[in-house]
This record gives sequence, structure tokens and C-alpha cells, in this order.
Amino acid sequence: MEDFNKKYNMTDAELFAPIDKDELESEKITAPRYSYWKSVFRVFFRNKINIIVLVLLAAVIAFAYIYPSVIGYNAKVDPYINLNDTAAWHLSPSAAFEHFGFAVKWLFGSGANGGSTFDAIWNGSRISISLALICAAINMTIGIILGAIWGFSRRIDMVMNEVYNVLGNIPYTLLISVMVMVFSPSFWTLVFAMTVIGWLGMAYYIRTRVIIIRDHEYNLASRCLGTGIFKIALRNILPFMTSVIVLEIAAAVPGYISYEVFLSYIGLGLSEASLGRLIYEAQNAMVTPGWGWEFWTPVAVASVITVVLYVTGQNLGDASDPRTHM
Amino acid sequence: MTKYVLKRLLHGAFSIIAVVFIVMVLVYGLMNRDLVFAKDPLLSRQMNNAREVYKFQKWEEFGYLDYVTYADYLTELTRNGEIDEATRAEAVKFGRTAEGDSELTTEYVQKFREHYESQGYSVVRKDAVVSRGRLANGGQQQLFAYKDYSVFRRLWNYFTSIIYIDNIHYVPEETDIGERGLTFTWHDPMYGGEKFSPALMGNGTRYKYLLYFDDHFPFIHQNMLTINLGVSYSVTRGTDVFTSMTQSQGSWVQSMITYPTGHTELSADNLHTAAYVAGSRETSELLMARFTDDYTNTQTVQKNMSRLGYSFVIGIIATIFVYILGLPIGVLMARYKEGVLDKVGTVYIMFISAVPSLAYIFMFKGLGRAIGLPWMFDMDNVSKFMYVLPIVSLALPSIASMMKWMRRYMIDQMNSDYVKFARSGGMSDTEIFFKHVMKVAAIPIIQGIPGSILLAMTGALITERVYMVPGAGGLLIDAINAYDNSVIVGVALFYAILSVLSLILGDVLMAMVDPRISFTDKAR
Repeated sequence: MEDFNKKYNMTDAELFAPIDKDELESEKITAPRYSYWKSVFRVFFRNKINIIVLVLLAAVIAFAYIYPSVIGYNAKVDPYINLNDTAAWHLSPSAAFEHFGFAVKWLFGSGANGGSTFDAIWNGSRISISLALICAAINMTIGIILGAIWGFSRRIDMVMNEVYNVLGNIPYTLLISVMVMVFSPSFWTLVFAMTVIGWLGMAYYIRTRVIIIRDHEYNLASRCLGTGIFKIALRNILPFMTSVIVLEIAAAVPGYISYEVFLSYIGLGLSEASLGRLIYEAQNAMVTPGWGWEFWTPVAVASVITVVLYVTGQNLGDASDPRTHM
Repeated sequence: MTKYVLKRLLHGAFSIIAVVFIVMVLVYGLMNRDLVFAKDPLLSRQMNNAREVYKFQKWEEFGYLDYVTYADYLTELTRNGEIDEATRAEAVKFGRTAEGDSELTTEYVQKFREHYESQGYSVVRKDAVVSRGRLANGGQQQLFAYKDYSVFRRLWNYFTSIIYIDNIHYVPEETDIGERGLTFTWHDPMYGGEKFSPALMGNGTRYKYLLYFDDHFPFIHQNMLTINLGVSYSVTRGTDVFTSMTQSQGSWVQSMITYPTGHTELSADNLHTAAYVAGSRETSELLMARFTDDYTNTQTVQKNMSRLGYSFVIGIIATIFVYILGLPIGVLMARYKEGVLDKVGTVYIMFISAVPSLAYIFMFKGLGRAIGLPWMFDMDNVSKFMYVLPIVSLALPSIASMMKWMRRYMIDQMNSDYVKFARSGGMSDTEIFFKHVMKVAAIPIIQGIPGSILLAMTGALITERVYMVPGAGGLLIDAINAYDNSVIVGVALFYAILSVLSLILGDVLMAMVDPRISFTDKAR
């Protein structure tokens, strides 16, 4: 200290100024800045595959949602525009290019009535993806909310377990097919059929997770300090579940698309020209030599869509787990 | 333990009843009941009033309602001795319109109306349909009463008739069939009466042979107790769901058969299955020449397995593959985490979980065709290779999920404290892994074993359809497509029983292998 005074030729009073004591500031604990969602995306984009997958996802969505309206696709008219031109039926892509000249719409050849398979597939994808997204949204919302309540309240747990035991035994396919049979097989019927007990599995899963986390020591401590149950659910438990929920949604959306395809294949699906319906209608084309395009292209597109959605969801789920944010 | 299992069984029985209740509400309550005729070729041949009556008769068969005609009512009265035969014969003739009734008929029609309306029935009188002075086709006047069953009544009727115990009062008491009773013989008359083969036979029962031996698995057969899950209307016309699942299929196996009259013929009839059909011999010369009594309805011996048999064989072989392939691969993936096998396996699991099942089943089908495997099930020339593709299609996705779960359980266990403790104690990783971790991780897998065995019987919907396997999985879909209510309910019951049983058995098995789990309240 003496040295400083000599070196700068200043007194203590000139070198140091007292600061006011700030009670509030002294309570703060300094920690590195951490934003949850920023970290999620940082981790997500660190993996280069995800960028490719996202580009594919964007392409799929563009084709499914924008392309049909750009070309003004009408599912009631367009598949039949070449109905009278028998030479245009069941063409492979190269034959279709020869017949119609090159155009994007003949990329997958032509269908049973000379309509463009490419257009039909993207229109069908729009229906299938919408169905899956709506079903997932409904089932997940109901499932998460009910599952959380189910997990928290012991009294509700008892009642819901019985409900689960009964409803869980109904063969799911049976229920959906009976619903489709009872009502007409329209889009909203299928949504209703798939959501009427579809949330149960998600709710049960959430309930189990909530019960596991609910009794952890930190929650016990939190409750002892007088935190409300609602706040505990929202602040203490939900962050733990985010990645689990994202993973579930990631598996659910492609699952619903597959299920729609399956239902259509067994003849119980939509009456609208969804992907499953296209596959169902092209069943016989599969075994006819030269007609394979009609069958395999919707199958392939359905697979690409489900894989892209699945991979995006899985990786987003991994990224939303805070333990990967180091 | 016993107490716990009994409690679970009771719970299970309740949930099975609830499932059937829900399915019945859906099928009988919500579905338009005219749809049951969608696949019925006979309805279109019925005209005018006959068409209405036909519908009501069918609805009664289906269990929708109770249907009584005026003639039935009068017959009932005669049987009770309230009116004599002459009155009945006179009263039954009701006119084309209500004005045309005679005085006696008016009186009894009024009684009929009052009797049934007081019980909540609706009474319908259809006047004759006349065109150009003549009765139109099917235009006969009709008079009947009907009442819809309530769901609870239907449920009660259904569950009380599921198990039928054969008894000597099956044949209506008025019918003269000689002395009713059971006879036991050491020498089955089917084999000429000299060969030693015990059999229990009945007269007055539904089946002639109640207990018998033959050369087919399981060698001893019984007909005393039959299971009725619901009689099919359109899928397998007139056959019970349980029978159509368990009966052999395909082309007939003929052999020289000596009928009870001594007549010998090349035939596929299995005389041991003879069931009573009232008055059948009188209407058929053929049956008269073959049988000495009215036990004439026999099942035929057919070459191929039953629906359940095919589904079970394919399902069980696939399940075996799932366990012998999926488990070790999952274990190795966990053991060498982040290794090549783990990465390849993860891609495979992802492929199976993401791609629609239909897509990869067709892919396997295409691949199988390319390497020359039979890709269609043909019951006339059965070869072992025909089973390959369905089994592969069924096993591959389940192997993926087995790998996924086994890997997950193993990795979860590897992070637990006892593993760290064992490692600090100086055990080698391999030793810990195979001696301790695997044992614990296998427990949830063991819980699933009874389920995968039992549920193999329900058949696989897509696989069976893609390869045209005549299995049990197709039955439900056929029934739904044909609006065959009773089959739907029957199959639902069958599924529900199997899934409840497999859950209970799984828990019991788990408790047996894991000493930490106890079902007694005290230990908790």
C-alpha cells in the first residue's frame, strides 16, 4: 500500500472511494448466463445431420402444404382428367414424360385413371400430416394435463387406475375400426376415433414420471417451504419432463401417419385421398409388372415423411434435455 | 400370493365385462342397424312386408330385439292350455286389413296387443300389399310385436350363454327320442365296437359323443362344455366365433367311413362331432341312409390347421426369434455402447419405429419374392418356406423393440449405485455386467413373456393380410368390413381375456423370479 502511495504520489483517500452498501446486490448469486431454449437450439444445430433433416422437413412441408394450392389441385377432379385417354393410364415416369412431355407432375408417373401420382401423393401427404398433427396435439395436451393431475392426486390416481385397467384392455384397433364403421369414415371421425382413448397411454406415462419426480427430496423441501402445488408442477417438474414430452411427440406424429396408412390398408381408413388411401387403392398395382410406381412412390414418400419427422423429434428431444447442454 | 392373484382375476373379470359392454354399446347402440344387411344377398330378394319381417327376424338373431309374431303368441296360448287347437286355427287367420278380421280374430288380436304393449313391446300390424287386386310379392299381411333389448339385458344374455354345459334336456321334451341318458362304453361303436376305446355318449344331449378318444392331438376330446362367443352372420355364416377360430380349414380329408346304419362311404365327416338337428332325417334321404337317429350334423375333417393354429404357429416362432435375437443384441449394444453394433442397431431401431409398418412389410415381401421365397399362403400346397416371410415380417419389428428396451434397461442399471459399488470392490466390468446387471435388467423383459405367448394367438393384422395367411387376425377385419356384430363382440371378448390373462401371468412370473417383489400387504 505504501508503495502505491509513493508511486502515484497520492493519498489513500485519493486512491480509494467508498461504495454504498447495496443490500439487494449482495443477495444476488452470480452464475453464467443460461437461456434454456437458446441452449436447446445451440445443441440441436451442433449436429450437422439436423440441418439436412430440417431442410428435408421444410421441403416436405412445402410440397405438402404449398405445392397443391399453388397448382390448384382438386382431389375430386384432377385424378380423373385423363380418364378418357387410356394410353395415359398406369405410366412409369419415363413413359409419362414421353406421353405428356417433361413436367414435375409426371415425376412419379401416372395413376390408375391417368392422373398425376406426384400431385396425388402431396395432396394425400397434406391430409395425412394434418391428421397426425391434430391427433398428436389433442392427445398430448389432454394426456399431459390429465397425466399431471393423475400423478399428483392420490384420490384421482385410484379412480383413474381402474379406468385405465378397463380402457387399456380394449383392443385399440377394434375401437378405432368400430368407430369408423359406426360413423362415416371422414377426416374428423378418424380424429375423434384416434383421440377418444388415444390420450390414455400418454396420460399414464406422464403420471408415472410425475410420481417418480414428485417425491424427490427437492420437491419435498419445496413443499415444506410452502410452494404451491401448481408452482411445483410448473417450475419443478415440468422442466424435467420437457425432453420426455418432446420425445413422445416425436414418436407419436409418425405413429399416427403409420396408423392412418394401416387403417386405410385394411379398408377402414379415410374416404379422402390420404396417403393411406392411395396405398390401399394401388394395392393391385404392386403385383402388376410395370405398375409398381403407383404403389411404391406413396409408400416411399410416407416413409420419408415419417423418418424426417421422427429424426427431427428425436434430436430435438435429445437437445431439450438440459444434461446435454454442457 | 393366492389372494393377490384372485383379486387380480376378479378385477380382470370386471374389466373384461366392461370391455364387452363398451363394445356392445358401440356396435349395437351407435351403428345404424340396417348396416347389418349390407352384405346380405337374401334381403334384396325379399319384398314388401316380407322384407320387414325378414329384417326383424335377423335382428332377433343378432340380439338386437325380442320379436314375437301373432302366430307364435297363439301357439304359446295353446301350449299353456288357454285355448284349444280349433280356436287357434280359427283365430290365427287375421285379415288383410283390420276391418277384415272375424270377431274371434279381433278379440285375440286385441289380447295380443294388450299383452305385449303392457310389457313395453311395440305392436306392428302391416296390412297386405295389394296390386291390381292380387297380393303383391311378399305382400302377405303381418302382425308382430318387438322390443329392443337394453344394453344390460343383452350383456346378461351374452355372458350367461357363453359356456354351455351339455345335458340330456337339450332336445325339446316333446320330442320322442327314446330313453334319455348318458351311456359309458369301453368300446367306442365308431371303431366297430371291438377296439378298446372308452367313450361317453348321450341321448337327449346336443352332441352324441361327450367324451371320446381318437388319433388326433390331444387324443382325448370332449363336447360336454362348449364355448359360444357369438354366432357369425356373414363372415362364417352360422358358425360360432370360437368354432370358426378353432376349426380346421382347407380341403377335405376323406376316408372310408362306416355310418351308424352300416352304410360305408368315402367321406370327410367326423362322426364324433355329431350334433342334434331336429327332424333332419325326415327331410333328407341321404341322412336317412346314413344315420339311425337325428344326430346328423357333423364337422368335416379338413387338411389344414385352424385360424388360431396358423396365427399361433407363426406368432410363436416369431416370438422365439425375438427373444433369441433381440435380447443378446440389445445386451451387446449396451455392453459396447457407442460401438459399431450399437450405432447400426440404433439406425435399425429408428428405421422400424419411424417407417410405417406397412411399408417395411411390403419391402420384406418384395425382397422375399426377389430371392424366390413363396410370398402367398396357399393352403393346398403347404410348404415350410411359406412360413418364412410372415415370420420374418412379424419378428423384425418386435426384435427392434426388444433391442431398444433391453439396451435401455441395461444402461439404466449400469448407472446405479450397486454397479459403482461392485466396481470399487474390484469386480471386472464383464463380471458385473453378466452376473448382476443382466439379471436385474431381464426382469421387465420376463414380465412380457406370457403376453407375447398368449397374444401370438390373436394373430397379426397386417402380416396375415399381406401374405394371405388364413389366421385369426383377419377375422376381426372381415367382421368389421361385413358389419358382423356378434363376431366383433366375440373377438373383442377373446382379445380382452387374453390381454387380461397375460398381464396377470406376467406379474406373477415377475414376482416369482424377483425376490424383491412381494404381493402380500405386510411386506409392503
